[in-house]
Amino acid sequence: MVNQTQLALLLFLITFLPVFYLSGRRVQMGKLPDLRPILAFNVLKGVTARAIETGRAVHISLGLGGITSDVTADSLVGLSVLEYLSEQSAAAGVPPIITMADPTLLPLAQDAIRRPYGADLEEATRAARHVRWIAPEPAAYAAGVMDTLGAEALDANVMVGAYGDEYLLMGEAANRREITHIGAASDPNVAPFVFATADQMLMGEDMYAAGAYLAGKPWHIGSLLAQDFMRWSIVIVIVVLVAINTLL
Amino acid sequence: MISRTLSTVVAMTVGLLILADFFVASASIDALGLYLIRTASVVAAFALVLGMVNVLTVHLNKIYSRNTGWGYSMVLLGALFFTLGVGFLTGGPASTQMQELFETVLFPLEATLFSLLAFFVVTAAYRAFRVKSFETGLFVIFGIIVLLGQVPVGAMLWDQLPVIKDWVLDVPALSGARGILLGVALGTVATGLRVLLGLDRPYVD
Repeated sequence: MVNQTQLALLLFLITFLPVFYLSGRRVQMGKLPDLRPILAFNVLKGVTARAIETGRAVHISLGLGGITSDVTADSLVGLSVLEYLSEQSAAAGVPPIITMADPTLLPLAQDAIRRPYGADLEEATRAARHVRWIAPEPAAYAAGVMDTLGAEALDANVMVGAYGDEYLLMGEAANRREITHIGAASDPNVAPFVFATADQMLMGEDMYAAGAYLAGKPWHIGSLLAQDFMRWSIVIVIVVLVAINTLL
Repeated sequence: MISRTLSTVVAMTVGLLILADFFVASASIDALGLYLIRTASVVAAFALVLGMVNVLTVHLNKIYSRNTGWGYSMVLLGALFFTLGVGFLTGGPASTQMQELFETVLFPLEATLFSLLAFFVVTAAYRAFRVKSFETGLFVIFGIIVLLGQVPVGAMLWDQLPVIKDWVLDVPALSGARGILLGVALGTVATGLRVLLGLDRPYVD
């Protein structure tokens, strides 16, 4: 027997899937929508160029999430940002320093940083040494990242993933270094910490647009269109239900 | 090429089975779903071994090349092997000695670090409360209202302040947070679907 939650989710998926497919196909056929400018992505695009100029690395924190938790989507966003920055930095030979709290992200991050080097195994292995697993505990992870931010020669700090209150410890450490700091948070409770410490922030659903804005992947752009459609549909349903409940 | 196709097929099949397990009430699909989730947990546990190898490599390199802070790396590796040794000798993390180690070393260290948050909040608030735009202006106004509404002196200044504070928290703040969560939910579903349909393959080398 299907309960109410399951029914609602099934209905949502049945509506979302065709919209998602049609939007993706539309973008694949070359009908690109105008994406609203998000300053944080523009800054992210320039981060590697600045790092190459200064010869200092970019630190990318993938946060506390992994690929077997309920915040996997946040970690996948972190990985797509890492993929983009790795590809850019591979040509210049300044690989980013990557830290994470969940070891399930370790092989994925190593793959992402190795991939741009292709058959050049020596360079790929050297780059993969920049991937560091710190600790699974939030406080220990924050302490490790604060040490990395303080000790390494860095030009920028990019924090995209799932975080809790410990974000503030790391964000303030980046602030003290006076380096470019881009933060992202999907948790509304962490958003004020990102707002207070980061130069540029990606809040809520903005962070899930990373693949569309940075790499211009068609299915990522298509899913943005589908998300927009679903959001407006939900808003209309809420307004209609409120009106019906008020009038009847 | 074969490994790319195979890993995509495995990921899609397992993902769709777990999704089916959520929607379909069938004993066989339930058992299969549970088995797959348990298998994933076991595989994920092996990632800890990879993590430990990574910690060893990073810190041994640091010690070998005498990088800044190499002494701390020695302390870290010493603590790692000591804890590992105590765990092996006393019968795992549930043993009294391991619990004592956690309670007397790890927990106080964590509490100390998190207590720094109080000071960090003050410096962050100082920076955030500088009016640079219309948005930061609103942030400051509502921040002051909520701060004053939370403390008794606020009610002494104006008895309506706690009422306004409650309204700010219950109406604009809560609706804003719900709006963010709605967007996050849609983003999560879209990310999940891309992986489930093999359009996004972070697991493929």
